[in-house]
This record gives sequence, structure tokens and C-alpha cells, in this order.
Amino acid sequence: MADSHQTFFEDEELIRPIEQTGPGFYATVVVLLCVIAFAGYTYVRQVIYGLGVTGLAQPVSWGFYIINFVFFIGISHAGTLISAILRLSKAEWRRPITRMAEVITAIVLAIGGLHPILDLGRPDRMLHLFTDGRLQSPLLWDVTSITAYFAASTVYLYIPMIPDIAILRDRGIKPRWLYQFLSWGWQGTDHQKRVLERAINILMVMVIPIAVSVHTVISYIFAMTIQPGWHSTIFGPYFVVGAIFSGIAALLIVMIAFRKAFHLENYLKEIHFKYLSTLLLIMSILWFYFTFSEYLTAYYGHEPNEMRVILYKFFGAISPYFWLMGVCNFIIPLVILANPKTRTIPGILIASISVVIGMWLERLIIVVPSLANPRLPYPTGVYIPTLTEWSLFAGGIAVFILGYLVFAKLFPLISIWEIQEGRDHSIAEVTDRLTTYLPDQPLRKL
Amino acid sequence: MKNKDMIFALQVASITYIWIFVLGIAIWILNLIRVSYKLQDSFDASLAISIVAIPVFFVLAVILTYVFVGLRKGRKREDAYSAH
Amino acid sequence: MPRWGMVIDLNKCTGCGACVVACKTELNVAIVGPEESGKGRTMLCMDIFTFYEGEFPNVKTRHMPRPCFHCDNPPCTKVCPVRATYRNEEGLVTQIYPQCIGCRYCQVACPYTVKFFNWSKPEWPKEMRKALNPDVSVRPDGVVEKCTFCVHRLQKAREQVAVENRELEEGDYVPACVEICPTGAMYFGDLDNAKHAVNKLKRSHRAFQVMEDLGTEPKVYYLSEMEIE
Repeated sequence: MADSHQTFFEDEELIRPIEQTGPGFYATVVVLLCVIAFAGYTYVRQVIYGLGVTGLAQPVSWGFYIINFVFFIGISHAGTLISAILRLSKAEWRRPITRMAEVITAIVLAIGGLHPILDLGRPDRMLHLFTDGRLQSPLLWDVTSITAYFAASTVYLYIPMIPDIAILRDRGIKPRWLYQFLSWGWQGTDHQKRVLERAINILMVMVIPIAVSVHTVISYIFAMTIQPGWHSTIFGPYFVVGAIFSGIAALLIVMIAFRKAFHLENYLKEIHFKYLSTLLLIMSILWFYFTFSEYLTAYYGHEPNEMRVILYKFFGAISPYFWLMGVCNFIIPLVILANPKTRTIPGILIASISVVIGMWLERLIIVVPSLANPRLPYPTGVYIPTLTEWSLFAGGIAVFILGYLVFAKLFPLISIWEIQEGRDHSIAEVTDRLTTYLPDQPLRKL
Repeated sequence: MKNKDMIFALQVASITYIWIFVLGIAIWILNLIRVSYKLQDSFDASLAISIVAIPVFFVLAVILTYVFVGLRKGRKREDAYSAH
Repeated sequence: MPRWGMVIDLNKCTGCGACVVACKTELNVAIVGPEESGKGRTMLCMDIFTFYEGEFPNVKTRHMPRPCFHCDNPPCTKVCPVRATYRNEEGLVTQIYPQCIGCRYCQVACPYTVKFFNWSKPEWPKEMRKALNPDVSVRPDGVVEKCTFCVHRLQKAREQVAVENRELEEGDYVPACVEICPTGAMYFGDLDNAKHAVNKLKRSHRAFQVMEDLGTEPKVYYLSEMEIE
């Protein structure tokens, strides 16, 4: 493979992080492992003493674990969905982005999918879901759709990675057996390329409905009950929009972080951030539109139970978080991203962090107020999470960062063969494609 | 040479594992349908969900197998595999 | 099949709380102590709401005992992922404690918020341990529980009438709260059986169910309070 040797020299920067590991990496890993170990300790403590060690109580009996579940699964929509849509729409600027996005999905989905287990009072009885689960329960819809999404997104991450793994194998990078095992005998022949392309095409079409279904089904956990504030028909699309929104923000943060850490400035250019941040701005406006219609219909209807929840959100104990959510999700991104002067990489980073925080708050605003305002006159408690919940939250984030770092040390974060393909074939292809967009013959040539 | 066979065995094992996983999920869902029928507990809803869920997993396993077989078939020569 | 249900006459209820106490001892409901209770982890299968009307000194209080309503169309059983809660043929919404995985989905789905969770392993003072009701299992931590309409009493009554070789009659099976009510404000029986008092009472013009508009069809009827001159 003569041209692949040439690639090594051209895209050396993408392989360097795999070949060389600095002390910073080990230091980060140690810190992360400490956080994870502490989270593990608090979880063991929770299993021993029961959920009493958390801040959960009546009537707010779902708290951080469910919030984080929805939040992490939301973040997971970054990847596969965005990368599939960009691939499907032949957006050429996707090439350095897709893999970074897909990795987020695979890791965050594994973390988010495990969160309901943290929430269980009897995790030892998990197997009851397999022996006598009920498919009519929205929780079972979740189990199936998250499993499907996890399987689909790992396959969708892995298959486009095969040529890159072969590059690593041919370079003799250790552990060699791993790359030999994973590269599936890739040699870059025409037949192999055809097979791979066909598989990617089927997968990207398949992954989009699965991704949409996952967050729809998560919203159904809430929407299928008849509780005020939850029993809403727009919850499905509202959650999907929120998920893509937070996903893009998370993707931007990861891209900015690794661009700095791995010196990828040559690959992740300003233009990529500009395009993605435009998408973030659009999602921010869409999110606002959904939030507005959700609250306006409930407010205008003025049903007493709905009103109690809404007033609790607007002016009650949770109101600071509600308004902060509005600022983080709409005002900050709008102000920063709509202005070309502030739409720089630091600006985009601030907007993205604000969106991730805002979307977490949104999950909080959805889960807690409806529970805190039962219909009958119970004494209402305030939900204050304890150290257990905070440390498990931190643990979840630490597992994500660690997973991402380990992945980045084993595989290239930017698809080498796709960059190469872009360089070698797509420029001509795009020019050809562009001519087909234009009228066949100039109509008037004067 | 021995290393190569070992890796091939591992690859076959992983594909087999994917199929076991998919079949396991299918058996699991079918079991839930059976239980729901036995206990008269919304059998129709369970059936409807399973019709959507099971094919998705099978398609994934089929794609993986297709790629695995396709890539093996598309290799240049047997000895080229560990040329480097 | 009988359809067990309850009628509570709010005119007769004095809010004495005897039903709450009887329930707590009958069902071995865990005692959580003031600290946990302050966090909102009080465990009550039977609760009493008190409504205050008017300003001091002309305050009027109204009381409303609240068991589980054993809905005919229960929102809680629909969502259970493992069949730990279901509506049996006699209309009782039951909990299977050894089956429950503790996801608390039924608890958040109940529009009446009657279910509660064992946040910690239940403990009783040493003196009380021997006073636990042997007919009712002690729940482990991490499961959801609620009022059972004292279904264990139904089992006992069934065995009793089998021994006596007769049919189950009104009064053979009543929950502890109904049995103890000093003013006779609570009635229990088969809602579909014309011989039972509840069948007549539920058709009274004073009868109402809590939040009928939700379509849950609760099997607990209240007889509204009327001014008695």
C-alpha cells in the first residue's frame, strides 16, 4: 500500500498521541481513578445502608440518579446522531468530527444506561427484569432501546474505524495483537472498501431512528404517568431536541479540549467550530421554542395542579434554577453565538459549558417539581442531595473522561482514512456534485 | 503463524459472541411475551414492542457478520495478512 | 368475584387517628424516628389529612382518612417493570415485596401519592419486636409498600369460613382501620354485593371519590360532610 505510507507522514499528528504518552496523562488518570474509587465507596455504602443515605424522601423520590440518567443519555445524542446526519447529508466538514462524536455516544451511553441501577432500592433483584419483566412498562422500553442504541452506536463507531486500526497495526504499535484482532484483515482492497462503505451506509440510516427512539422513550417514563408537568404530548420531541442540544455542546467542549491537548489545530479548524456552533445556536432557539410552548399551554389552561407545579418552578423554592436554566440554555448561547465577534473558540467554549449546565438544570426542573407538588395536601419536603449523590455524579463524569482518555490513547480520535479520502477523492467529487446542482446548461449566455 | 490462528479464533469467537448476545435478547423478549400471555398482562403491547425491537438487533448482527466475512474475502493474498 | 371497597363517612370522622395507629401495628409498618420523619420519610399506610378553615378563634377543622384507593384502573400497576404490583381478580391492588426491585416508578406514578419506600432497613425498639403481627411479613429495605386493605385478613377469613362450611359474609373480612374506628365512620365490604352496606352507601348523594376525573376509579368512597343543625 504505497499511498498509505505517504499518509503516515501526512497525518503523523493524529498518531502521535497513541505513540507518545506524557506525564500529564498519568496524572489525570490517577486523579480520575481517585474520584471513581470514592464514588465506588459511596455506592457500596448505599447498597449496604439502603437509599436512606441519599437525600431522597417522600414525595421527591426520584432525584439525582434519574436526572443524571436523562442528562447523560441526552449527551450521548451528540455523537451517533450528529455524525449520522452529517454523513447522510454529505457534509464534507464532518470528516474530523464524526469519530470524536461517536466516542462520546458509546461511553456516555454506558454510563447513563447504568444510572437506573444506582437508583434501584434492590439492585440485587435486577434479574427480575429478565425473568419476569413487563414490556408494557416504559422502563422496559428504555432497557430495550438503550441496549439497541448502545449496540448500534458501538458498531457504528467500530466499523468506520477498521481502516485506521489497520494503519496502527501496520505501524506495529503495541499492543499489536489488539490491532491485529480488531482490524479484521483490512488491506484496503477495492472489495473491502465496498463492503465497508455499504455497511456504513446501512448503519447511518439505521442509527438515526434508534437514537431518536431512545430519548423519546426516556421522555415517556415521565409522559406516560398522569402527573402534572409530566403528562405532556410534546415531551418526546422536547427531550430529543434537548438531547441533541446538550450533545452538540458536549461535543464542542471535547473538541476544544483535545484540540488543545493533542495539538490538532491543523485538523479542527475554526470553520468546524463555526459550523457546529451555528447548529448549537439553532438548537438553542428550537429548545426555547419547545420550552415556551410546553409552559404556555400548561399556563394558559390554568389547570390547578399544573399551575401549582408551574408556580413552583417560576417563583417557588426551585425558581433560581429555573431562571438560571433559561439564561444558560438560551440567553448566553444566543448572545455569544449570534454575534460574529464573540463566536470565537473561547466564546464557543463558554457557550457550550453554559448549555451543558443549563441542560442538566432542565432535567432537574423536569424531574423534581412535579414530584414535590403532589395533588393531595401532603407535607412537601425539599430535595437536598447528599454527598452520596454528588460523588456518584462526579464519578459518572470521571468515568466519562477516563474512558475518553483511554480511547484516545488506543485509537486515533480523528478518522485518518476519512481525512485522506477527503483529500484524495472528495475535492473532485464535490466539484462534480456542485455542477449537478446548477442548471444543466446556461439558460442565457449573452 | 500460531499467533495468527489465535487471533482468527478470537475474531470468530467475538462474532459468535455478538450472535449469542442478539439471540439472548430475542429469547429474553420472547420469554417476556410468554409470561405476559400466561399472566394475561397486556400480551398485545408486548408483542408490538417485540416486533420492533428484535429485528433491530438482528440487523446489527447481520451487518457485523457481513463486514467480517466481506473483509476476509476481499483480502489480497493469505500471506499478505502479516506481511508487515 | 367480590370487589372489595371502602366507604368513609366524613360526617362521623373525628380525626382521632385510631385508624392510623391500628394500621401501623397491624401491617408492621416501620417506625422511622423523628430525624428521618423530618426528612419526609414517615411511613404511613393510612394517613389523615387535616384541613383548617377560617381564622382563629373561629377555626374549623376537617379530617379525611386516606388509605390506598385500590383503583380499578390503577396508574401504578401499569408502569411496574417487574409485576411487583398488580390488581388481583378481587380488585385489590397488591404489592409483592420479594419481587420489587425498588425503582419507585409506581410511587411516582400514583396520582394520590399513597405509596412509600423503605429508605432504610426497618427497625423496631426491642420491646416492640415481639409485638409484630405474625400474619404480615416484615419488609426489607429498598422496596415500595402501601395499604393492602389487610389482605392477610381476607386469607384468614377464607380459611375460617371454610372450616365453618359457609359463605363469606359481610363482616368476616374487614381491615384493621375499619375494625377499630370508634365512631363507625368506616365501612368495608363488597361494592357489587347488594347485601353489603357499602353497596348502598356508595350510591348515596353524598358519596364522592377523590379526583374521579382522573379515571382511576378508586374503590374508596367518601361521604361528604354536611352541616348538622
